[in-house]
Amino acid sequence: MTAIAATYDRGARVSLAKGWIYAGLVVAMGITMLMSLTLGYKVYSLGEVWAALTANDGSETATVIAGLRLPRALIAPLAGAALGMAGVLVQTLSRNRIASPDTLGLNAGASLAVVLATVVFGVQSLVGLSLAAATGALLTSVVVFGVAAGAGGLSPLKIVLVGVTFASLAHAVVEIILTSNEAQLQQLLFWLSGAFVDRPISLFYNGLPVVLVGAALAFVLSVALDAMQADDSTAASLGVPLVAVRGLAFLAVSLLTGAAVSMAGPVAFVGLVVPHIARRLVGLRHRHQLAAAALSGAIYATLADVAARFVIYPVEAPVGAITAVVGAVALLVLLMRRLA
Amino acid sequence: MDDQLASRIEVKALTLSYGNDVVLDALSLPIPKGQITVLAGPNGCGKSTLLRAIRRLHAPQSGQVLLDAEDISKLNGKALGRKIGLLAQSPSAPQDMTVEELVRLGRYPHQAMLQPWSPGDDAAVAAAMAGTGVDTMKHRRIGSLSGGQLQRAWIAMVLAQETDTICLDEPVNHLDMAHQLDCLELVTKLNKEQGRTIVLVLHDLNLAARYADQLVFVAGGKVRERGAPEAMMRADLIAEVFSVNAEIITDPVHQRPICIPHRRA
Repeated sequence: MTAIAATYDRGARVSLAKGWIYAGLVVAMGITMLMSLTLGYKVYSLGEVWAALTANDGSETATVIAGLRLPRALIAPLAGAALGMAGVLVQTLSRNRIASPDTLGLNAGASLAVVLATVVFGVQSLVGLSLAAATGALLTSVVVFGVAAGAGGLSPLKIVLVGVTFASLAHAVVEIILTSNEAQLQQLLFWLSGAFVDRPISLFYNGLPVVLVGAALAFVLSVALDAMQADDSTAASLGVPLVAVRGLAFLAVSLLTGAAVSMAGPVAFVGLVVPHIARRLVGLRHRHQLAAAALSGAIYATLADVAARFVIYPVEAPVGAITAVVGAVALLVLLMRRLA
Repeated sequence: MDDQLASRIEVKALTLSYGNDVVLDALSLPIPKGQITVLAGPNGCGKSTLLRAIRRLHAPQSGQVLLDAEDISKLNGKALGRKIGLLAQSPSAPQDMTVEELVRLGRYPHQAMLQPWSPGDDAAVAAAMAGTGVDTMKHRRIGSLSGGQLQRAWIAMVLAQETDTICLDEPVNHLDMAHQLDCLELVTKLNKEQGRTIVLVLHDLNLAARYADQLVFVAGGKVRERGAPEAMMRADLIAEVFSVNAEIITDPVHQRPICIPHRRA
């Protein structure tokens, strides 16, 4: 009886701790979003923000808050959450803690698809570009895994090598297309800069359902993904339909990455860093990994976006540069640990 | 364990090849319920493949594996996962996974999509950890465990599956002598106390003879001979199957045959 009570107590404490972690993450996300609304070249009070959002009187303050601050305060957390969840999925699928939508070339593939869709097929609509981004991410994952598998096995480093190579290739093609299509350069640079600034709010409304579908798919797969953290033989002997789960999970990754790229362009390394934070907080079960990665991804991206306004104040730094620096350091640390 | 849960497995004329290499050649083998069957044979004889085919990890070209007289190819993955557990050779999982998280994976075939984790799942995980003695280290990361502890954690994972048949592919491969005995005593306990049917692949012939109820020599993709260890441990048979000239004596402690190899035949 004592043993049962003790076990129960321990279980209860663990779930209580997770509850507090989630509560803390939600509060932190709210705070960072408020920071995003109030802080910047000009600092607004919470009262001014509230006034601008509830009753837009057409004043300059209201226009800046509702037209410029609000979109980025919504797009940054949504894109961060999407990339965080995509990172969790990619790291599990490749059984590789240094994998991410970036190191697998998915961001680059999505960007290339957006550029091709615009220049070659004349796609202009946001829906069309989102679809192109998701398709590009999906095709890239097929190509990268295909090439890595063809080169003899899906070893973690091999996948990343193929992914990084593909990413440089995609970047090169994008550069070539942009150089020869000056007319569209301005519009496309908007996509490719990897930033949350100057995004219309329609991008948020457009990206939200795609992220929700991708997240729902990921959560439905979460128990199977738990089992797929073990080797293929073990997962298969537990009864996991490996091919189906992999296929659907890559679809989820593509939707999440594609949505993030369609909203913010390729914001570097968010999907690499965030899963590590999530696992530290809540452990390895995917239900929790995904939830914590969504929240901490939202916080991380929003904080980076706020930081971008101040690192070289009064000029605004590209947020992708900030996440790239943090991500590159994290990647180096992880690589050194792996090689050690 | 409820006797009705115990199943009887029968391998019938199973042929399995990788490309042009025929690994199993119309192999037939009954696996008696409630017994320990040990598959032994030289490297590349197909014993691991046979074990994996019993859990349907390889699709055969022809032949069947029957479970309670039903072809396992007709069962879905989760249903089979509730009947036959397999501990793969050198299984792997993330180093920062905790023992408890690892053991929980064994509940996969019992969970339906979106169905919440049940008290029954908790009980199975707790029982599996207690039965293998890893309950005291359930919050430790598996990367911090010794080889013997890690193997017990993996066995707990398979136990949490609550299958009446458990297959283990070379479970004592990387373990020292003490942990080899630990592991096989644990397996024997599961067999004797819970009536689980055990199928093992073992390289060490003396361990095989000591723990097997049915010892099976696999050679050239076929069952060369099978029977009680006393009947199987014969110099002529061992010379033929393993290409080793050996002397067979009886272990004075356990009264089981032991093979003392002299030289290559």
